[in-house]
Amino acid sequence: MSALIEFRDVCKYYVMGDTTVKAADHINLKIEKGEFVAIVGQSGSGKSTCMNIIGCLDVPTSGEYYLDGQNVGQMHKDQLAEIRNRMLGFIFQQYNLLPKLDLLENVEVPLMYAGVSRTERRQRATEALERVGLGDKLRHKPTELSGGQQQRVSIARALVGKPFVILADEPTGALDSRTGREVLAMLQQLHKEGNTIVLITHDNSIAAQAERIIRLEDGRVVYDGDAHAPEATVHPKEGGAV
Amino acid sequence: MNLLETFKLALRNIAASKMRTFLTMLGIIIGVMAVIVIVGLGNGMETYMRDSFASLGTNSLSVVIMGRGSTRSVSVDEMYEIVDENPDCLQYLSPSVTLSPSVHIGTKNYTATTKTGVSEDFFAMKGYEIAQGRGLQYMDIADRKNVCVVGNYVNQMYFANQAVGQTLRIGSLKLTIVGVMEQQADDMEEGGTDDCVYLPYSTAAQFARMGSITNYTVTVTSEEQAAEGKKVLTDALYGIFHDEDAYLVVSMAEMLDILTSVIGIVITVLAIIAGISLLVGGIGIMNIMLVSVTERTREIGIRKALGAKESVILRQFVLEAATTSALGGALGIILGYALCRVATVVVSALTDAALTVVPAPASVLMAVGISVGIGILFGYLPAKKAARLNPIDALRYE
Ligand SMILES: Nc1ncnc2c1ncn2[C@@H]1O[C@H](COP(=O)(O)OP(=O)(O)OP(=O)(O)O)[C@@H](O)[C@H]1O
Ligand SMILES: [Mg+2]
Repeated sequence: MSALIEFRDVCKYYVMGDTTVKAADHINLKIEKGEFVAIVGQSGSGKSTCMNIIGCLDVPTSGEYYLDGQNVGQMHKDQLAEIRNRMLGFIFQQYNLLPKLDLLENVEVPLMYAGVSRTERRQRATEALERVGLGDKLRHKPTELSGGQQQRVSIARALVGKPFVILADEPTGALDSRTGREVLAMLQQLHKEGNTIVLITHDNSIAAQAERIIRLEDGRVVYDGDAHAPEATVHPKEGGAV
Repeated sequence: MNLLETFKLALRNIAASKMRTFLTMLGIIIGVMAVIVIVGLGNGMETYMRDSFASLGTNSLSVVIMGRGSTRSVSVDEMYEIVDENPDCLQYLSPSVTLSPSVHIGTKNYTATTKTGVSEDFFAMKGYEIAQGRGLQYMDIADRKNVCVVGNYVNQMYFANQAVGQTLRIGSLKLTIVGVMEQQADDMEEGGTDDCVYLPYSTAAQFARMGSITNYTVTVTSEEQAAEGKKVLTDALYGIFHDEDAYLVVSMAEMLDILTSVIGIVITVLAIIAGISLLVGGIGIMNIMLVSVTERTREIGIRKALGAKESVILRQFVLEAATTSALGGALGIILGYALCRVATVVVSALTDAALTVVPAPASVLMAVGISVGIGILFGYLPAKKAARLNPIDALRYE
């Protein structure tokens, strides 16, 4: 069985005048179905770049990216949109909810683009919001909620389409530590239910919640393995804990 | 995401900023309104003119003889000959002698009444029926009898419906009333079609000491024959005078056509000028849509991340522009209709012409089509910009 996510020599270069920034430099990695992986690294190490490529929001400069056996790198924008819609669920640091829509409508958006009928949409969105404990606020606007609640809405939105992978870029970055833990617990729960989760963070204690850690440095993978091995949290080059 | 849902979304976005939408629509509203009123005004003018000409008779030709000094003139008999020789196109002839002295009835004086000397065919030419008494007859003309036929206004107002057998005077000319015409206008008024006196042209010419008669009305067998009739008359008169400046033949149908086409041109030009406001309105829509795309960059990024294809985003923004524009068009139509009514009242009050400003359904349809079209046209560019946004850049946008 092939891996759910597979990078083969994936590179992403940004040319800025004379200098070329190697945001991703020959990255090779495989993520299997059902894994809970944390991608860690310092600011500017290429985590978001990596996540954008996994999330089909961006395409690599070179190299190949296989998602569920399909070569995504060569796809047309519309095909990428469809893959994002059907196979991926996003959780952003800034929640990225649509402020004019209520919670139910927000969670319905991916289903709407998938062409799900109105009644089924309603039902599935309601279920997803109930799962994250917001079943009593279906008709509220995002601005009426706390940060943690908003992030739970975005989790509901990420999982409502039953995606292959849930991608979370610094999901706790804008939250206090207690709500952050709640959100993490929710991701743990989703993982236990069999979802594949890729979590991006610069915080080692958060990364420790995952099973496996991929550490990036200057666009390269410098560690890939068990989250609880001593090398996972402390890298020789950094000369200590981050 | 189907069209109906996209449309609902567009309506929501429009409703979310009512004032801005209204200001955006203003150009379209004014443009559509102006086009409707202007075209309506043109329609009204054309109808009004047609009606006015219809009462003059669009199948009649007017002949004016100027002559060439005193050397040569044309007699009534010669005119009759021309008409009789061309029965295919020419039908009736009536000399027309207008008298200027006012009408005296008893001790009263009436200046507004028209007094015209005509032939016995005049009533048939105009389609005037005689309601009481009789019309003018050949013998009245031949013997220059002092008789006349009056309009119903004269009959009602000055003779209490007892005009036949009574007398009136035009200056010093004493005439016996032998008949009363059927009422012509719906509402009779002083100086109107029904305020008239018709007497034999021979009597009138003698009274006015007119050597030869200079004005004639000739009818053609049908309106289509107007051009042919005009040509026949012109040729015959040229045969008599050998001088094109000695006579004038005017076809009422031709006059109507010329006036109609002049009005048509004026209206078209005005409508185009009004249409420019539609263009300006379109640019306003484009401008606001560009602002809206920039403001909603993040929303677009989120929607794209969640799986919206370019075509869906494009459709959303185009539909929003088209809806804004169409709403403007609808408001413009409502206001246009209202303004047409106001214009009818105002024009009637100012000119005392019974002119009704009628909005033309075709112009309304066109206005709607154009306003929606403008929305799509000018909404397309901003929508394309939105659709093309790179999702990562859009998500990062603050
Ligand atoms: N659009 C871009 N144009 C130019 N350079 C870019 C662009 N996006 C990212 N980079 C560069 O690529 C490198 C990796 O950026 P990336 O956003 O992936 O880092 P990160 O690990 O997510 O950092 P952070 O923890 O601060 O979010 C950085 O040096 C960044 O400056
Ligand atoms: Mg980042």
